[in-house]
Amino acid sequence: MDAVLEFARGPLFRLTFAIMALGLLRILVLDIIAAVDAYRKAGDKSMPWRLIIRRSLEWFVPIKRMFHNRPVYSIYSILFHIGLILVPIFLFAHVHLWNTAIGIAWPALPETVADVLTVTTILFGILLFASRVAKRTSSFLSRKQDFFWPLLLILPFLTGFICANLGVRPTVYQAFMLIHILSGELIFILIPFTKIAHCVLMPLSQVVCTLAWKFPPETDDKVCTTLGKKGAPV
Amino acid sequence: MKTKVITDEERQKAFKPTKKPDVIERQRLDVRYHVEDFDVAERPRRFLEAFAAILKHSNYRMALDHFIRMSAKCSRCATTCQVFQATGDPKDIPCYRSELLLSVYRRHFTVAGLLKGRLTGSGHLTDEKVQEMADSFYNCTACRRCALECPSGIDHGLITHLGRYILSEIGIAPRALVVSTREQLEGKTGNTSAIPVPALIDTLEFLEEDMFEEKQVKIKYPIDVEGAEYVFFPAVSDFLMEAETLMGIAAVFTATGDSWTTGTGYFDGINYGLFYSDRILERVVKKIDAETRRLKGKKVLIGECGHASRSAKYFLPTYCGGKDAYPVINIMEYTYQVWKEGRLKLNPNAIEEKVAYHDPCNIARQRWILEPPRELLKAFCPNYVEMTPNRDENICCGGGGGTVSIDEIRPYRTTVGGKLKADQIRRSECKYLVAPCANCKKQLRELVEDQGIDCEVVGLHDLLYKAIIFDDALIVKSSDDEKQPQAEEEEKEKA
Repeated sequence: MDAVLEFARGPLFRLTFAIMALGLLRILVLDIIAAVDAYRKAGDKSMPWRLIIRRSLEWFVPIKRMFHNRPVYSIYSILFHIGLILVPIFLFAHVHLWNTAIGIAWPALPETVADVLTVTTILFGILLFASRVAKRTSSFLSRKQDFFWPLLLILPFLTGFICANLGVRPTVYQAFMLIHILSGELIFILIPFTKIAHCVLMPLSQVVCTLAWKFPPETDDKVCTTLGKKGAPV
Repeated sequence: MKTKVITDEERQKAFKPTKKPDVIERQRLDVRYHVEDFDVAERPRRFLEAFAAILKHSNYRMALDHFIRMSAKCSRCATTCQVFQATGDPKDIPCYRSELLLSVYRRHFTVAGLLKGRLTGSGHLTDEKVQEMADSFYNCTACRRCALECPSGIDHGLITHLGRYILSEIGIAPRALVVSTREQLEGKTGNTSAIPVPALIDTLEFLEEDMFEEKQVKIKYPIDVEGAEYVFFPAVSDFLMEAETLMGIAAVFTATGDSWTTGTGYFDGINYGLFYSDRILERVVKKIDAETRRLKGKKVLIGECGHASRSAKYFLPTYCGGKDAYPVINIMEYTYQVWKEGRLKLNPNAIEEKVAYHDPCNIARQRWILEPPRELLKAFCPNYVEMTPNRDENICCGGGGGTVSIDEIRPYRTTVGGKLKADQIRRSECKYLVAPCANCKKQLRELVEDQGIDCEVVGLHDLLYKAIIFDDALIVKSSDDEKQPQAEEEEKEKA
């Protein structure tokens, strides 16, 4: 068991983390290249940067949006995201792991704060899943992965919390720790290939949407030629 | 803001068949709008070919790639869509509508999709799916309000726009839009309302006479003046239906003395290309450029029309020279500017009744011209009231995206598309509803009529016309008055 844990914590962690980091880098670079290319081709190169920044900020600090529409859902969705981002990076035990893995340390969250965030993330994750199942519009739109994600995301939180706070027997501890690590690594692998990719793409959304309306000139002629419709009546 | 789902009775009215079964059979297309006969063979294949050709020569691929990676299916957009709120049909959720096209893109235009398709041998685009898209993309009014509410920033309006463009390439586009555009681009009159130039000139002379009688001011409607500061392109239907808006605009120019003109070579601001085809959009925008060039004008001035303003403002630079393209301004911007400069005087109590302002989506959604009309209205309407939500978050009139021009779907527009707007108008209790957009005006008039709301829909300049105070020097005294018609007749004889 120790060897398995060691493998999961060591080489497997490095591999899955690399997959995630490189995968995210890949789609981010592809997105930026596509945006630069679109800008280069666009006939109108003026960009309303103030509006782009304003609308991006509305979603990074979604206070206005939060109360605007489905406030309860918005609040627990936002709190869920906060825990999801902060705990894996700033939990004391994780900071220590980061330090041994990459040699950089940063301040950790106080233990109680981390515990509260862990519990809220678990609770709100369950709520997110429940509302997806219960709400007619959400369940109608949902694909399999949409139901699956909240459950998968809370799994490392749940197992981590048990290991850290409940005095379980060593064998049970090891089993939970293994699930904790493996589920975290599964998340790493899946992130770049699923909707969770929004964690790096979101800042570009408003730029992409604005650029998408900046068409290249002379497309009429080119599309007509490609489709063999040149000179055809309207 | 929320509304109730329509009743069964309303549903029957809104979704009443508009076409004979044999037409549906022949075209294999069960949609509410009329479509000219087209080739029905191998629709999915031709759809994909058109999709591929468009992707090759456009920037859509960037957006689609971004959207398929981002879409989280959170269903927030459902709460803002006025169509979904009225029908309660989950197929009207913006995200579902977008997924129709995104799934085609994912399956046929991404490596992962092609591979998965090969392995499973499934997921091909079917004829049924093409039909579903043809129906769904015209249920949407392309108001883009849902885009504001999407945390992933997905612009569902853009997807509707692209979906309609691809459909039009295989022959599926509302007949009403296609026929008008054909007249505009290939017809004798060169405009969507098929107004011949002599009729235009007659109309304008008639308006001048009318205005003289009402205001005792020689309000001119200049035609074909070379080198004018502003070349004017209203929605051409205004010449037939919105005389008062045009009178208000002419009155403002008379009060300021700035030079403006309407060209007889081309005088139509309408651009249905924005609603169904980028190719048409490009061709129509180029006509505006050509006419401004012919008249050696300095700026393009668009009348009270949302989509005309957006298509000129955002696509003249796209298709006609980028930074060097003619500057485009909307008439409300001009009027606001001259009023701010003190060149336009308004009677502060001209309109005593309650007045509310409706933001056209195509103008306000990108936060363009939000305050000018409000400040102007407050200057002469002491009882101005605000409807909420407003400005860039406004609720669509229900006839956006060209649907207002499709007469056969009026029951749908006024029971489903405009339901939320109707609630909002009712709550404001306004007597005058100001809508500076030819599309919105037509839709809102039909909406208040069908929904039994006591309110008059007008343009901003219709009301301004009542409030303008002319300089004494411009007012023809009664002694001159008698000479006036005589002098004009002499002038005409000379001409």
